[in-house]
Amino acid sequence: MQVQEILNMLFEPYIFIPLVFPGLIAAFIVLLIIIWLERKIAAKVQLRYGPLYIIKPLGGVIQTVADLIRYLFQEPIIPKDVDKLAFLLTPVFLFGLAYLPVVVIPIGPSYYAFRSDLSLLIALALTTLAPIFTVLMGWASNNKFSLIGSVREGYLVISYEIPIFLSALSMAILYGTLDLVEIAEAQRGIWGIFLNPVAAVNMLVLMYMSTSKFPFEIPEAESEIVAGPYTEYGGILYGLVMGASYVKLYVLSLVYSILFLGGWNPLPQSMIGNPFISGSVLFIKSFILVAFGAFLRAVYPRFRIDQAVGLGWRISLPLSLISIFISLLLVMGGVRFVY
Amino acid sequence: MEAEERELELLIGPQHPASGHMRLIAKIDGDVVTELRPDIGYVHRSVEKIAETKKFLQIIPLVERPSLPDTTANNLAYVMALEKLLGIEPPPRAKYLRTLLAEITRIHSHLYGLGIHGVMIGSSTAYMWCFGDREPFLQLAQELTGARLTYSYIIPGGVRRDMPKGFADKVEKVLRYMEGRMKDYFDIYFNNPVTRARLEGVGVLKREDAIRLGAVGPNLRASNVPYDVRKAEPYAAYPDVEFDVITEKAGDSFARVMVRVREIGESIKIIRQVLKRIPDGPILHENYEKLIPPKLKEQYKSTGIVKFPSLFANLKAPEGEAIARVEGGRGEVVFHIISDGKTSPYRLRMVTPSFRNVVLFEHLTKGARVADIPAIYGSLDYFPPEADR
Repeated sequence: MQVQEILNMLFEPYIFIPLVFPGLIAAFIVLLIIIWLERKIAAKVQLRYGPLYIIKPLGGVIQTVADLIRYLFQEPIIPKDVDKLAFLLTPVFLFGLAYLPVVVIPIGPSYYAFRSDLSLLIALALTTLAPIFTVLMGWASNNKFSLIGSVREGYLVISYEIPIFLSALSMAILYGTLDLVEIAEAQRGIWGIFLNPVAAVNMLVLMYMSTSKFPFEIPEAESEIVAGPYTEYGGILYGLVMGASYVKLYVLSLVYSILFLGGWNPLPQSMIGNPFISGSVLFIKSFILVAFGAFLRAVYPRFRIDQAVGLGWRISLPLSLISIFISLLLVMGGVRFVY
Repeated sequence: MEAEERELELLIGPQHPASGHMRLIAKIDGDVVTELRPDIGYVHRSVEKIAETKKFLQIIPLVERPSLPDTTANNLAYVMALEKLLGIEPPPRAKYLRTLLAEITRIHSHLYGLGIHGVMIGSSTAYMWCFGDREPFLQLAQELTGARLTYSYIIPGGVRRDMPKGFADKVEKVLRYMEGRMKDYFDIYFNNPVTRARLEGVGVLKREDAIRLGAVGPNLRASNVPYDVRKAEPYAAYPDVEFDVITEKAGDSFARVMVRVREIGESIKIIRQVLKRIPDGPILHENYEKLIPPKLKEQYKSTGIVKFPSLFANLKAPEGEAIARVEGGRGEVVFHIISDGKTSPYRLRMVTPSFRNVVLFEHLTKGARVADIPAIYGSLDYFPPEADR
């Protein structure tokens, strides 16, 4: 009886979404798979094997688990001159905040932890919190490379944050709502990416920029500043900060899938009520986006910080204004959505 | 005082993922490098002094150790200087074999440089591809010489081994493969907009500065100075083969990369000519061939592998001095031997291209961005152990 109650409670959306899917546990699994996949894709392009030996028939798929165990048992070294409290707490906050926006993400038209008229804004606003801790991390580390890395992160933030908001809001104008559930439901017919492709492309690039994927892997550029803000970290603390950017990309991909890729659409009316099926559709879409971000590593070198900032202000900002303009034209042209 | 406070001194290396065995002392103002001084000498191993205690033949492996990716140039330049002292001229077939190995080495040395440069600007694919495609060339060299990197193939009066049977076909296969691969390199790396953005206009070395600072090799030719020792003072089989001296006009990091890429094409051309024109005959000077005992001589005739005549160990060079220069993968290698008639040189001077190019660090990085430091470093194909010797 007790077990049944606990299980029932677990499947309540307000616990299931943040804790299991698409929240903590799903994010953790994505993290484990995507790091392996990133190495495997890069290896494929680079004519090598990549991870291989741990479960050889499956191509070393649990290599990341082995890495995680190693991280867990590695001695966490805290350098003498760091600001200890900030040094220890920032990775935890970084990781926690990276997946916090999940609370407002619905996985079905009637399955959500927390529905708000402003859920898109809340999700985006929560993603902007993490960079503050990256900057703090660079400051607390008391290392010149960390400092440069965190300043670079700061520069990147100001160059992607405004266009990413404008691109997302252009879609909100188009759909006439800031509620993620309604946004997804609005795309029963035609997906957002076809209505406003400018905003879609723009936000995709900025999403990879905000999570330091190539070619924007600037804050932790290895050949320039060792590991940027993470230079002094080791062991599980490093595991957390490294995982945080993947989790952030995963969360942003969920938001992106709802905004542009129709969320759980297209699904027949009979299946759409089942949160497992609609959630899986959403999950697959966002996983593909994360995997594509991982694939970029094999294609691009990295930009210089001034080039990335220039890209943000000179190209992305005008593009996001254009996408707002497109949305306004569509709305004035009579595109309406009924909920 | 205020200007001093604005600046941040950054010690890049020797414990840094992309510094190599050296320290770069950078002063940066924001993201702009105001001064960058290379602090070299971390891997100095006193090759010149050790050489004074070694016998002439023992110096061959010694001098090729400092520049591992490009060992043939050092080997050849040293032996050429020694031959000048000894007053012997290797037989034509040996000269062709030396050219063959020198060009194979040039290709894999360039691939090494391009790969390291690739990962320095963040393209791990360029790195893996270049290092992967070095492999066929290393295997060719292994088949020819018996070693992957430290060949010690060139000995006074000739070379150690003759070409194995069917070698020419294998070489042709590898050359075709490399020519095919070059297209992929351009598609994913050289013509990648990000690569272009990172390298074009970065670290521009003007023609007059290149000459004034004494840059050598591809770095000099990228600044539109058509100077190549192979043309200026032809040695080995280079007088008999046709090739172009590759130059680029821009003098920036991308031009330096392009010179290397196009030189791989020229080396492929040279190797084809060498294999077509290689004459038959001995691979060791007749004076030395005579010294081989009859039993070993039979083995030499049947396998084409020279076992050193024991007399070689006590090779004495007549009194005097000699200079030889060679165009290696990274640039001009100069060896100066002074002999006082003993079994070891009185003094050996070894000038390596990396040592002559190290001055460019300070010159090229002034006013560049922090992220340009590795982009410029890699484009110079600088190899610290080679500079330190």
